[in-house]
Amino acid sequence: MSNIIKNKHPDNYFSLLGLPVSFVIDKNKLTSNYHDIQKSIHPDNFANATALERRLSVQKAAQINDALQTLKNPLQRSIYLLSLYDIELGENNNSVDPAFLMEQMELRENLSQVSDKADPLAELDIILDDVKSRIKQINSDLETLFQQLLLNEQKDDELLKKASAQVLKMQFLNRLQEECLNKEDDLAEQL
Amino acid sequence: MALLQISEPGQSTAPHQHKLAVGIDLGTTNSLVASLKSGIAETIADENGQHLLPSVVQFLANNDDKSQSNYQTEVGHYAQKNASKDPLNTIVSVKRYMGRGLEDIKKHSIYNFVTEEGSVVPRIHTIAGDVSAVEVSAEILKILKQRAVDALGGDLTGAVITVPAYFDDAQRQATKDAAKLAGLNVLRLINEPTAAALAYGLDSGSEGIHVIYDLGGGTFDISILKLTKGIFEVLSTAGDSALGGDDMDHAIADWILAEAQINEPDAGLLRTILDAARQAKETLSEQSATIVNIDYGNGKNWEKELSAQQFEQIIKPLIRKTLVPCRRALRDANIETDDIEDVVMVGGSTRVPLVRSMVGEFFATEPLVNIDPDKVVAIGAARQADVLAGNKSDEDMLLLDVTPLSLGLETMGGLTEKVIHRNTTIPVARAQEFTTFKDGQTAMAIHVVQGERELISDCRSLARFELRDIPPMVAGAARIRVTFQIDADGLLSVSAREETSGVESSIQVKPSYGLSDGEIEGMLKDSFSHAQDDIDARKLREEQVEAERVVEALSAALAEDGEALLSAEEQAAIRQAIDELIEISKGSEHRVIKLKIEAVDKITAEFAQRRMDASINKALAGQKVDELK
Repeated sequence: MSNIIKNKHPDNYFSLLGLPVSFVIDKNKLTSNYHDIQKSIHPDNFANATALERRLSVQKAAQINDALQTLKNPLQRSIYLLSLYDIELGENNNSVDPAFLMEQMELRENLSQVSDKADPLAELDIILDDVKSRIKQINSDLETLFQQLLLNEQKDDELLKKASAQVLKMQFLNRLQEECLNKEDDLAEQL
Repeated sequence: MALLQISEPGQSTAPHQHKLAVGIDLGTTNSLVASLKSGIAETIADENGQHLLPSVVQFLANNDDKSQSNYQTEVGHYAQKNASKDPLNTIVSVKRYMGRGLEDIKKHSIYNFVTEEGSVVPRIHTIAGDVSAVEVSAEILKILKQRAVDALGGDLTGAVITVPAYFDDAQRQATKDAAKLAGLNVLRLINEPTAAALAYGLDSGSEGIHVIYDLGGGTFDISILKLTKGIFEVLSTAGDSALGGDDMDHAIADWILAEAQINEPDAGLLRTILDAARQAKETLSEQSATIVNIDYGNGKNWEKELSAQQFEQIIKPLIRKTLVPCRRALRDANIETDDIEDVVMVGGSTRVPLVRSMVGEFFATEPLVNIDPDKVVAIGAARQADVLAGNKSDEDMLLLDVTPLSLGLETMGGLTEKVIHRNTTIPVARAQEFTTFKDGQTAMAIHVVQGERELISDCRSLARFELRDIPPMVAGAARIRVTFQIDADGLLSVSAREETSGVESSIQVKPSYGLSDGEIEGMLKDSFSHAQDDIDARKLREEQVEAERVVEALSAALAEDGEALLSAEEQAAIRQAIDELIEISKGSEHRVIKLKIEAVDKITAEFAQRRMDASINKALAGQKVDELK
């Protein structure tokens, strides 16, 4: 399972936190492993230690924190998984499906008109629910794609391409969700 | 003179030696010091039985010419009494000025600020000379330190000092500088609400999500924490580092000024009015009305009744202002009000009933007020100090805190690019790559800011630095990797490296509102009466202590892991280095000792790294079994 990655990146964030390389994560295990590791290497254990040990523990704790942040969040996790296959996202954004872009523009337009509605917060909730269900759908697509990818002994470019496209979509949707929540804050403050 | 005794595995070199460590709450209005006494954290009282030390410093005229910069001061209750008689030399609420530039602090201040040539730090002009906020705070810390030394009967290993969670890098650095100036070894800066949670959580032992609402004299913090099996994990924090009980006083003072038709009061009268306002606030927190009385000092006075209802109208906008960060913190923690176990009230200003009712309504739960809101922060800090000093008890507790503000860089067009987002668990390190945009370019300017806004001008400038000694290349060929690290104190450090050539670029970080190293050094010098000798003696002692620490730690590490992780030759090399260090640290040259410590560090870095990795594997042992195949 996932031998390509294991051989090429023995020190990846998954193995660092004692988890199998996978898109599906056992969240309880992630948290409890993270806690166990921090208990042993956090700088608080070295407050009276030598300068060298203090420095090393800050570096190690920072690395473990970064690993946790990356694996906790599905978007970050999938970007990281792709990077283990040497795929850097963000350079070829043109590969996003035009129909998807059209939908995005529509959603954004709805969002910008929310303030003019009779009940802006209710209107915002509708958009937010829509965005959330789309994210959920992509999550389950990615689950299948990564499972197939990691089962393969060979690097499967076709599957990687599909996964990258989904991750790009998730990036768009996450940003939109963020904007919805910002809007919600603004509206709440005006109340 | 046994400098070293090699210990058996599992045995400490100094058994059962309880190290003295204290927690200090350096507050806007009052400060406290606490320590652990037979397992129970308690605040320490002065000789009159007073626990709270008013954070007020009065500077006195200097009779003694030869020690110009050794200020004569009154600190605490006596200074507080003198505040209205000697307003310009008596510094109140100095915490508001820590790590701040002139522009930030001019409003609402009665003091005469000056900035010296070649310094960015505003200084308050007093009869004893111009003093920075760091020096004023150091005077408060000195008193607390002495109080602790007297009560505990020995030198302190170190102190944990609390800061508002919402303090930025400059404010934290200023606090650390003040401690240094007061001769305190800072084990850690911890956030006030987190300290409160430590005091509270360990008492009740309750698992779950807790909200700490901390409204002090000059700062407001909201923190959301999750407590699981001894681990205190801060999920989010938000606040306003310039909002607190002082603002309620100012709002009441404005009412008095309007009602009494006073225009342009002098500093003394303004202080009198502010004191009356504070008095009224305290009375109205328990009664339904009070008479505000202003004594003009010329035999005349003014008085008027202020009802609790009017008072609430006056302060309501201020309390509403605290609910905005509350909402943000909930969102950043990704939780709903239903998930919350309880809301703990901290800080003297939470005694105001309207604060309690509005906060209770917002979080839909009755706020907890069962711990003295004035003492809880110092008590939590004392507990953490005890753990950090190495007096570990059976309960292993760990604190995982976050950075309150996003860290960003200035990009083209005066925009901010975020490198580390707010509410990221610390310590944290992020690297960013830069390149040159001109052929042969050998230097580059980088501007670091803290804040959430898009425009650089809306964020707080932390530091500007220049990357120099970049090898000349064609434009865009250099790959400069700049690493930003926030340590467990929440303090930023920066390092840089040109990747194609491996050249480490020199970095000069100039804190935008901080004291420079030279200024700190100068103040330290001034605080000794005989300059150079004492500094050398102090440095020698510091290096000897560090050498001892290295020897002790390495010997213990060798005993524990030497066989398992090192070859026979490697062990021998480290043993030899230890022996050499012991010999050299008997000398009187602090520089030589320092160099030797650095040499030992180099030899043992690999060993330390292996130990760190081994301890991670050990922590994960029994959990991986067949999943990682």
